[in-house]
Amino acid sequence: MNSVLTLKRGISAEIYKFRSTFVFWFIILAPAFIPFINLIVFLRKGDEILERGGTAWGNLMQYSSGPSNFLFPFFVFIVALFVNNIEWSSNTWKLIYAQPLQRLNVYFSKLIVFILMIFFSLMLFGALIIVAGKIVHATNPDLGFGEPIDLVLLFGNTFRTFLATLGFASIQFYIGQRTKNLILPLGIGIAGIISFMILVQGWEYAVYHPYGFHALAASPYTGEHSLLLENLRPITLSLAVCAVVSGIGALDALKKRII
Amino acid sequence: MPYVTLRLNHLVNRVNHFTFMEPLIIETHNLDFYFKDFKALSQVNLKVPEGSIFGFLGPNGAGKTTTIRILLDLFHGKSGQIRLFGKEYGTHREEILQRVGALIENPSIYKHLTGRQNLEIIRRMVNAPKTRIEEVLKIVRLVDNADKKAKNYSLGMCQRLGLAAALLTDPDLLILDEPTNGLDPSGIIEMRELIIRLNKEHGKTIFLSSHILSEIEKLATDVAIIDQGQILYQGKLEGLHSDGDLMELKIELNQVDKAADVLKGLSYTISEQNGRSLSLPIEAKTEVAKINKALVDADIEVYGLQTSAETLESIFLNITKKLDQ
Repeated sequence: MNSVLTLKRGISAEIYKFRSTFVFWFIILAPAFIPFINLIVFLRKGDEILERGGTAWGNLMQYSSGPSNFLFPFFVFIVALFVNNIEWSSNTWKLIYAQPLQRLNVYFSKLIVFILMIFFSLMLFGALIIVAGKIVHATNPDLGFGEPIDLVLLFGNTFRTFLATLGFASIQFYIGQRTKNLILPLGIGIAGIISFMILVQGWEYAVYHPYGFHALAASPYTGEHSLLLENLRPITLSLAVCAVVSGIGALDALKKRII
Repeated sequence: MPYVTLRLNHLVNRVNHFTFMEPLIIETHNLDFYFKDFKALSQVNLKVPEGSIFGFLGPNGAGKTTTIRILLDLFHGKSGQIRLFGKEYGTHREEILQRVGALIENPSIYKHLTGRQNLEIIRRMVNAPKTRIEEVLKIVRLVDNADKKAKNYSLGMCQRLGLAAALLTDPDLLILDEPTNGLDPSGIIEMRELIIRLNKEHGKTIFLSSHILSEIEKLATDVAIIDQGQILYQGKLEGLHSDGDLMELKIELNQVDKAADVLKGLSYTISEQNGRSLSLPIEAKTEVAKINKALVDADIEVYGLQTSAETLESIFLNITKKLDQ
């Protein structure tokens, strides 16, 4: 109980320090990017898109998930970089590790806040897709956005993406903890994504590539709800990678010399 | 059985009392520390009494910051080597750090936040009451600037904000690493007064590192001198001065290098040397004549001989140079 309370203290301090920072605005504005573009696309070309078939919501979700699968990893790289860089650039690792809290508490507070940021952004992304659909409906009621949206499918898929992301997110977080270098974690992340894109074309073991779990876990935004519970291997692998890497990070936090 | 334990504790307390007189807040025991193969600290035995302003003096790179990082458990020492408040980090980490406030080297401040917001972050971590922020701001005299962004702070204000953060838990011990480093003269005086006030009025034990000797001389009650990872002196500040009737002899002459060789031949330590003069510590006035004769015999022209009470600076140089030789 005591450690839960102290963890709460750590998390609350961690969230507080991101006030009026780039990260704060980034996790709010970045999820709006794709829904905003799609809003313009559906306002101008909605009729043409729907002539090709499918429901309005199904099309909008499909139009959103494609680009987001590509852009989302970069979002994660940047957030992982900045949640750690705030300490590197302020020279505050020594400040937070000299407080009367367990080292693991300091480490997990930051990790949890990082994961919450990703989660919040993804859920916001889902919500903004709905907002975009509603705005299109207000201007063009004939398109079909008056139909009820399949929220389970939308947020179920978003949640799958969240879980499948945790694998490489934890790797990026770990690298961000180890180095104050800004380019290195980005370089490793981009190399991870590109290497997966190459390997997945022919290498049978590409399914174990941590930077590909989120892409492999993506399922169609139309169809049965039961689809959400299929193809779980990338998700379980992602969670396993996250557990192992976070465990290594925690051991590191216990032992490392804080400068 | 409990009675026996009680008696034993009583005896141990009595022994401690007679051994140290004042309780020790920091105690290190044969502390060694390595950076890979480089031995940064060697057999460091610090004893910091309660209520003291303990000056930890040494040139840059002597091991001061390393020691401080170990005292704060930022670098892990070996079990049995470090005790704060009589306890070890292995089992009492939070308890110890709750009673320690620290300011380590250059300020650790979130520049995008205001002074007050910076304190709020630490307040949340240490679970201090909200009213404590106002109290510490008053102590460090930062109330008027508390709502300015820290990026607009002067270095002196940053140091005071760091000190305010260190005071949030109302600690019994303050560990300050070079707190006046980089400050302008008025900033230095302000920080010095603040440190003395925290010690005298708030009863805090202060462990203070510095490479500026005059700073320590003005503040400290106790000192330890460290060089190349070894403690060269530890004790009361006055003890340094009364260690024999040391004086500083300054000699003006024509052949400084030759004179230095002559004096080294007589087992003297040169503390300062320039193109026209050299200085060395001596123990008695009678040595002045002896030195003068030796120099004249070596065909060196002596223009002036001047003695003065030895400053802490020359004591320090003397101690650290002895190690080099």
